[in-house]
Amino acid sequence: MVGSTIDGVIIIDSSGRPIIQSNFRTTFPSYPLVHIDAFNDALAKCSFHSDLDPVLHVSAAASDERHTSACCHLEHGGLRFLCPVSEEADPLFVFSFLETFIRTLQEYLGDVSASSLKDNFDVVYQLLEEMLDNGHPLTTESNALRDIVLPPSFFNKILNVAGVSGLSAATPTPFSSPIPWRKSGLRYNANEIYFDINEEVDTIVSKTGGVLSSSIWGIIKCNSRLSGTPDLHLTFTNPKLLLDPSFHPCIRLSKFASNKSLSFVPPDGNFTLMEYRVDTAPISQTATGAPQIQQLPISLKASIQLTDFGGNFEFVLSTRPSVKVLESVVFTFFLGHTSTSANCSCLVGGGPIGMNDGKKEGSWNYDPRSQVLAWDIAQLTTNPIILRGSFTSTEPHARPARSVKIAFQMPRHSLSGLKVDQLKLTGEMYKPYKGVRINSSGKVEWRMQTRHVSES
Amino acid sequence: MDTALSSLSENATRLGMRLQETISEHTRDLAIVGRSSGASYFDSSDLRNIQRHLDSNHDREKLEAMKRLVAMISKGRNVSEFFAQVVKNVASNNLEIRKLVYIYLLRYASQEPDLALLSINTFQRDLADGNPLIRAMALRVLSGIGVHMIGSIVVLGIKKCAGDVSPYVRKAAAMAIPKCYSLDSSHFSALLPILTTLLKDRSPLSIGAVAVAFNALCPDRLDLLHQHYRRLCRVLVDADEWGQIELLDLLARYARTMLSKPVVEKLETEVDTSSFGPQNISSEEVDPDLTLLLESSSPLFQSRNPAVVLAVFRVFYYVGPPSGQSKAVPHLLRLLHRSPQIERVVLENLAVVGRESPRLLMSSMNRFFLKADDLVATKRAKLRILVTLVTPENVQTLLREFTDYVEDTDDAVVTDTIYAIGHCAQHVPESTESCFTALMTLIKSKHDVTVSTAVIVLKSLYQSQPASMDSAPTFAASPKIISRLARRLDGIKHPQARACVLWMVGQYAPTTEGTKSVIPGVADWAPDVLRKAVKSFANESSAVKLQTLNLTSKLLTLAPTHTTLQLLARYVFTLARYDLDYDVRDRGRMLNTLLAGLGTGITNIEEEGRLGGVVLRREQVHLVLFEGKGISPVGLDRGPKNQGPIGSICLITGKGIYGDRALPEWPDEGTDPSLRETEDDHPPAPGYAQGASSRIMQGFGSSNMPSSSHPPSPIVLTPTGPRGASPAGSMPRQASAPVNKTPWKDLDSFYAESEESSEEEEEDEEEGEEEVDAGEEEVGPSGEGVVLSARQEESDEEDEEEYDEDEESEDEEDGMEGSDLLARHRS
Repeated sequence: MVGSTIDGVIIIDSSGRPIIQSNFRTTFPSYPLVHIDAFNDALAKCSFHSDLDPVLHVSAAASDERHTSACCHLEHGGLRFLCPVSEEADPLFVFSFLETFIRTLQEYLGDVSASSLKDNFDVVYQLLEEMLDNGHPLTTESNALRDIVLPPSFFNKILNVAGVSGLSAATPTPFSSPIPWRKSGLRYNANEIYFDINEEVDTIVSKTGGVLSSSIWGIIKCNSRLSGTPDLHLTFTNPKLLLDPSFHPCIRLSKFASNKSLSFVPPDGNFTLMEYRVDTAPISQTATGAPQIQQLPISLKASIQLTDFGGNFEFVLSTRPSVKVLESVVFTFFLGHTSTSANCSCLVGGGPIGMNDGKKEGSWNYDPRSQVLAWDIAQLTTNPIILRGSFTSTEPHARPARSVKIAFQMPRHSLSGLKVDQLKLTGEMYKPYKGVRINSSGKVEWRMQTRHVSES
Repeated sequence: MDTALSSLSENATRLGMRLQETISEHTRDLAIVGRSSGASYFDSSDLRNIQRHLDSNHDREKLEAMKRLVAMISKGRNVSEFFAQVVKNVASNNLEIRKLVYIYLLRYASQEPDLALLSINTFQRDLADGNPLIRAMALRVLSGIGVHMIGSIVVLGIKKCAGDVSPYVRKAAAMAIPKCYSLDSSHFSALLPILTTLLKDRSPLSIGAVAVAFNALCPDRLDLLHQHYRRLCRVLVDADEWGQIELLDLLARYARTMLSKPVVEKLETEVDTSSFGPQNISSEEVDPDLTLLLESSSPLFQSRNPAVVLAVFRVFYYVGPPSGQSKAVPHLLRLLHRSPQIERVVLENLAVVGRESPRLLMSSMNRFFLKADDLVATKRAKLRILVTLVTPENVQTLLREFTDYVEDTDDAVVTDTIYAIGHCAQHVPESTESCFTALMTLIKSKHDVTVSTAVIVLKSLYQSQPASMDSAPTFAASPKIISRLARRLDGIKHPQARACVLWMVGQYAPTTEGTKSVIPGVADWAPDVLRKAVKSFANESSAVKLQTLNLTSKLLTLAPTHTTLQLLARYVFTLARYDLDYDVRDRGRMLNTLLAGLGTGITNIEEEGRLGGVVLRREQVHLVLFEGKGISPVGLDRGPKNQGPIGSICLITGKGIYGDRALPEWPDEGTDPSLRETEDDHPPAPGYAQGASSRIMQGFGSSNMPSSSHPPSPIVLTPTGPRGASPAGSMPRQASAPVNKTPWKDLDSFYAESEESSEEEEEDEEEGEEEVDAGEEEVGPSGEGVVLSARQEESDEEDEEEYDEDEESEDEEDGMEGSDLLARHRS
């Protein structure tokens, strides 16, 4: 056997017990259990979840090569999805399938959690049966799947009670559509299509405040509710920005290659149309230092002093003058595996003391389980705000993270300046309602200098 | 959305009301519809009514019973006792019941083969159903229930479905072939003609499944693909994403077996590695059929599925010419953003690229910078890549990065980073000075791991550059560094690191001529280290004790007449004599005897009686103890250097698992392109939605391929025999396999040959892997091999062993091996 096969899928809950197990046909009976045990053991050994390698090597009692396997796993919604693989395969193949499977579950169940799986386990089993056949992905397009596995809904439940199968009634001809990702015979009273362009800048800032690496990642999500078989043509005013794009299978790749426009027959409902990257100024030119910093919408002054059994810190946060407002700013600082508590105060800098109305400066919280100090700021402006405080540690030399992370939102703002030029529809007579929305967000990792101050 | 929902619920309520009026018994059940009932099935373990419900006349009760059974299966309970009742429902008109029955059946049929036979008739009938969904499902269950007796029925079913009008059913037929074959391999001869029929399938929907079947049934019969190769290339872009992965795999193997290797000619004989790029390659001679594969697969770099992207990358990296590799890398880099799991896996694949051709990653170095919230495995993989990218130009940038990473919260990452700094010092001489400064700063760290790793790395650096003491100006400061290390001995807790410091102190204690010191010939800082070490001797670990003994002997050799040293030595040797560890006792005795010739009076030979033998002079002892060090450079490359081809599990885990993803070696000479010529070598009508395939065709057809007006190829090579025999010359010419000139041969000889050739291919694969191994070792800066000079004494040998940082070398075996090696060397 040369191709890649997945032996099955196991979903286990947060306490390590299996909820769903697909059929393991070709393996010995204890095979799924061996993997569940191996996973739980590996998890128990790790002090932190991030220590756990996503691909585990599992060997059954025998040291024979035939009895060794790998277990690929990922976490979603408090559940762990395990995929045992007993023959050499590409782990990306396994993770791609798991991601597709989870995406389908989300479409079917809304939120994917232990309780939603238990409520709809029959649907989950049917999905697994349709999606994975003898270790090979079979039908994974959600438009095709909805024809053969009915999503759980109030209506369907009533039909079930009545003893009528929703399947035969709702779908007289599954797979009748010539386009795998689109159902045939769709009808809407109001034809609408919405595009959501979300961009995220991902930046690492050095101790001295220089940008070490920065990329903008964009994703265009689409919600299509169009009748018939519409043929869409989407153009951008500045398509040259788009780098390393990836597309939904519906996009005609040749059209994009020739004139950088998107030509496609959309699937029905929600889907991800494309993803792309936008280059920020090439990093090689910034070896000299400062100029690139303008790209960063946020400014941070940090000072951390480590003392025996803990430390003190002060962070001053504001936006850069070029940016007026950042929303939902979340500042997180991992205080180290040995940290036990933190005590802080948030202040508004610059203004008089009476200005503190408890909103502008945000609120802080220390989670003793994840040992992360979080500082939530609803709105950050050019007016600096300050987080000052101290933390304690069980070890004499605390070891907090070497950087803080700052996440923020910039609604109705485009980081890259990408603009939709026009959307043309051919193949159908109606005029659809079109909508485009652009949102941006950012993730900044800011490295810091820590100073050791010994009291003794 | 809201209107749709409300109309739906309105419909539902209306229907509910009607039902309520007409069917009185259902009213009770409708009341419970509101709350979700799935969880209640899941939580109850009540099996009492299941049997009655399964036999009931109402679909609703049957459905409930089936749901409960599936819930039991889910909880891991064995519910095979209901098999007989469940099988009766296999012909239910309710599709949902049927599907649940199928799920049940697939799980237990192999345990109850006799009862399972009851259902066969229904499936056979279903194979002729008007609904393609029913036909496909019937075949899937039929082939999946795993009952040996019905093997031939399954084959018939597959054959029937392979000719179905619906591509979905044909897909199911292709998917059933591996199942049928793995159940009973005797069906091979019946399945092969079905597969050859399916290979001709024009629908992109089913072609991926056909590739799956091909890979399972006859992965080595690549000669069957000649006639389909070009069409498969063209249809690639239209296949579903999972099919694309299988197809790419299959086509890559075909190309590596049947096409000639791209020939690259370089204009310049000596190409500078830093500017080595595609523009320097003057000409590349690529088989047009290979170009077709590359051109038709390159659009798939834009797939949303990461596995497809990696599959295309494999094609470009392992099959394509070097010029294509640089174009392929950005697509792989894009995947790093996808998810932590995918990032982890992709990085390991990029590490292979980094090791084999670092120039491809050079321009995107900053995308491998570590983030604080990366997975630990991700951080370590990134470090491994960064280390391969170190050049004199970027070493300062990387060194700054590394010094930042040293403050990471994970010890493994810290350790790897310090080794990476050591690697820079070793490989980029320009940076040695700053690396040493960085390492010395780390010695002051408050963290045990940082300090001990820094010490070990420093020691390795000293060891690997034995001439440093005297010649290289960059090391002029080295005695100072060691004296600083010596002063920090109290702060260094890690036994290995302590042992390292002691060794270095001993090794670099001799002063150069003309330097003034309190004890002539011994550096001023050394004796105090000995004093400290001796003081804590009793509580040290064995590694430190051994080094304390070495240090004592070395200092005593330098100043044999110094009374304090003599006293210290006598004390230490006495302690060692009664140590719990036999290694320490042995070492003590050995060194004690070695020093006998110094006349220091510390030896206890008199007590043990004259042993006879040779007594060494002081110069000889000096030679034994000090010279010949640093001959075994200690590798500073850390972490698992995983072997394995791109896109495999063993690349990630570092441990072998059944199967092999390596591609076969190139043939000596590719097969004749006319084998691949078919009547329809003209652009096919554009696919149902994709226009991409036609574009590729035009670009290709214009140059090398016969146009549509070209008369069809006179040789009709389509296999006509029922077993799909292949014409001669359709296999690539291998050095050991002579080409048979007869155009057709009888079946027996054909099979004999194909077995032979498949064996050869296996061998080839193995060879390929070995070559990869060898290549890896070359990349590493230092082999583990210890080169022993003949003048070395056994004590040296043991010394070396001891300092091999990876081993504690306390066990006897190591010593044995060492002396064996020595003996062999001497003879």
